[in-house]
Amino acid sequence: MADTEDNNLGVGSGVPAGALEPPTSNDAPLLRLKDITKTFPGVIANRDVSIEVHAGEILGLLGENGAGKSTLMNVVTGILRPDAGTIELNGEPVQIRNAQQARRLGIGMVHQHFMLVPTMTVAENVALGLRPRRPPISDISRIAGELREVSARYGLHVDPDAVVESLSVGARQRAEILRLLHHRAKVLIFDEPTSVLTPQEWLDLSEVFRDLAAEGRGIIFITHKLDELLGVANRCTVMRDGEVVGTIPAAGADRQTLATMMVGREVVLRVERPRPASGETALEVRGLGLHSEGRAVLDDISFDVRRGEVLGIVGVDGNGQSELVQVLTGLVAADTGKIVFHGSEERGELTPRAFIGLGGAVIPEDRHGRGVAVDLNLRDNLMMADFATPAYSTRGVLKTAAISGRCERLIAHYDIRAPGWHVRVDQLSGGNQQKTVLAREMDRQPSVLVAAQPTRGLDVGAVEFVYHRINEHKRNGGATLLISTELDEAFTLADRIAVMFKGRLLRILDAGEATVEQVGLLMAGEAATP
Amino acid sequence: MKSPATNRLIGPAASVFTVVAGLVISLGIIAVNGNPPVEAARALFDGAFGSTKQAATTAARSIPLVLVALSWIVAFSARRINVGMEGQLVVGGIFATCVALYVPGLPAPLHLPLAILVGFLAGGAYAGIAAALWAWRGVNEIVSTLLMNFIALMMLSWAVRGPLKAEGVRTNRSERIPDSAQWPNLVDESPLNFDLFLMLGLVVVVAWMLRHTTFGMRLRLTGANVEAARGAGVRTVWIGMLSLIVSGGISGIAGAGLVLGGETEVMAEGFAASYNLEGIVVALLALNSPYASIPAAVLLASLGLGGGLMEARLGVPAELTLVTLGIVLLLVTGSNAIVRKARSVRVDADRGDADPSDAPGAAAVT
Repeated sequence: MADTEDNNLGVGSGVPAGALEPPTSNDAPLLRLKDITKTFPGVIANRDVSIEVHAGEILGLLGENGAGKSTLMNVVTGILRPDAGTIELNGEPVQIRNAQQARRLGIGMVHQHFMLVPTMTVAENVALGLRPRRPPISDISRIAGELREVSARYGLHVDPDAVVESLSVGARQRAEILRLLHHRAKVLIFDEPTSVLTPQEWLDLSEVFRDLAAEGRGIIFITHKLDELLGVANRCTVMRDGEVVGTIPAAGADRQTLATMMVGREVVLRVERPRPASGETALEVRGLGLHSEGRAVLDDISFDVRRGEVLGIVGVDGNGQSELVQVLTGLVAADTGKIVFHGSEERGELTPRAFIGLGGAVIPEDRHGRGVAVDLNLRDNLMMADFATPAYSTRGVLKTAAISGRCERLIAHYDIRAPGWHVRVDQLSGGNQQKTVLAREMDRQPSVLVAAQPTRGLDVGAVEFVYHRINEHKRNGGATLLISTELDEAFTLADRIAVMFKGRLLRILDAGEATVEQVGLLMAGEAATP
Repeated sequence: MKSPATNRLIGPAASVFTVVAGLVISLGIIAVNGNPPVEAARALFDGAFGSTKQAATTAARSIPLVLVALSWIVAFSARRINVGMEGQLVVGGIFATCVALYVPGLPAPLHLPLAILVGFLAGGAYAGIAAALWAWRGVNEIVSTLLMNFIALMMLSWAVRGPLKAEGVRTNRSERIPDSAQWPNLVDESPLNFDLFLMLGLVVVVAWMLRHTTFGMRLRLTGANVEAARGAGVRTVWIGMLSLIVSGGISGIAGAGLVLGGETEVMAEGFAASYNLEGIVVALLALNSPYASIPAAVLLASLGLGGGLMEARLGVPAELTLVTLGIVLLLVTGSNAIVRKARSVRVDADRGDADPSDAPGAAAVT
């Protein structure tokens, strides 16, 4: 991560830190990629991809997972080298051999997963990529001063002396931007920057985008959220299957057009929400409390979920949602409170096995961590929870034929795109992995579904699929607890919406009456008092 | 997209290639040092497979190697690391000897299986100590099993000097194992016994167990993703313990086989030799496949025996075969990474994305 060879960034010249060199006079785009092709064994990740960003422009780069956006950006930032094609900066061809060089050329990227050392301060993180003026004497205090200046100029509100792990997610993202500005990046690439932000934080960030563009920088904004893109971008380039489908001006574009370009077919963006059945209570939670490292991560959580109803719990990541899911599914024992699954006999301790036995199913938020075992094949992943039932084994011996039959049925029914059940799951796309989880969990007709961030990282087509399955579950009389950071998702699926903040449930609102603004404010911890 | 059959053939093909490459490189080293490479190659071959007796000896040497490799594979399939196979093997051997010597009057069809069964149980129980420490006290099983090797070797030292010492001899060894508890000879004038079939049977059983039983499924789930396994209702701690216990049991069988099928027909110090490390090497070469352990063990055994003859005939140090082994090992583990990469190509029918961060291996198994 730290490179020492890079000795001249933001240091030494007379230009104030973060300021841009005078724009070149020619009209060539700031960055132009021409006919980039990149193949991996057996797969063409990019085929003849050409995009360009002009100075002062915000370019939206849109595409489903696996469309080749990440590969393209890895080419631009020097992580991968293209098989063919040219890259031009201000009309001059350049070779980008490695990440350091990309940075020297003024290309910077804010990754989806931040590249900051949590135990160091913001200034130290920035200094990691720089060589001190007079090694080994550290430049931290000077860098901190420069950062403070840049931060003030762009209204980023980041304290350079703050330790990164003490910062909120939004502030960490701003620290990353600060680093790029300090490195005098001319082209700034943002990879799905909004997935960790509250609606208000996104508004602030989009202002920063506009300011940066106004100064003559070029911004590439990667996302699959159409609304955000249309609000801020000048032009949108849509990629599909490793190729550019088209580039259109954002003014005049609409969601439906872009979604169709992205997926290659008509997509129903608004999934109709079935009316909730006024069924009896399926899951009753009372006074749940959990402490971790002396802190209450769950604080007196109480709610009911009825049959045929979806209860949405929204909130910014890290407010106790993960812990709530772990407690509900039996992975972690709560310190206080009780969980009752109605319609099933109450038993002793809630373990994962008991949770399944009580009719529970879970779509875990961390797909690779808990959802699938990527080293195993599709069959093992589909059978994970059921292989020991009499239908699929007798006296400890698996019934191969029954298992294969079930897997083939699930692959067809859940539209899992795979050549067969013998394929290792790490060879499937994220969407197909999530379909694998859905197939496994929904096939046993659960009475209570806990869906945690069920569409995180999925493309539009797969999101639509997941929504339909959850609604189908609801129509069949199942209870659903939906945990999501996406307000849109909650409003699309949930009948009632609760906001979780610092381990507590703030309010439970009727989805028909609540407004996005109201819930957004609650998510940020405002109006905590009713 | 490659067909699954081609996919499955990549691994074995790569292994064969690595062995050939390893041999060629070592013969090259021999030639550079002024020895005739063709003669050396012939000596290597003759030493391992030159006659029926030589081939039988190679086979006999392979048996404990395969068993120890199986032992490793069973624990490792649940991602538990058992490096105490030597200790479990020794304890299995000691208890099998006790049964052989002190349970008199049984006919061979009962005596021998009983001794082997006790070897299995003793090895399993010995590994069970480490398993229990791991499950209930969080003691790292690598450390505990490794250190328990030394305890087992001390126990062996004490046993052959004390309670099990044969009357009226000066060497530290047990009484002669009675015929009823000895493995019958398979090939005359060679150390190869009928325990070859026990070994082959165990390979089949372990491979079948891992693929086709609920226990095997639980082992593999736990090993592949312990969190996902727990979420699916698998009692992962218990499964981890069982994997170590079964692993120890198989090492115990190997130990029992060494005593009950040994050429000296007694138990003495050092019967465990270096099977611990060599067994791990076999498992590594076999990429943790039970079936592939057989050729891997034969390779190891033949290099050992062939190297001896090469030294006797040509004066080329037998240690050079370690070079061969080292090269093969590096190539196999290295080529495995390449093979995995070649297989890691996304197979989505509708689109492809070969994001390098998603490649297997990026997600390290803990």
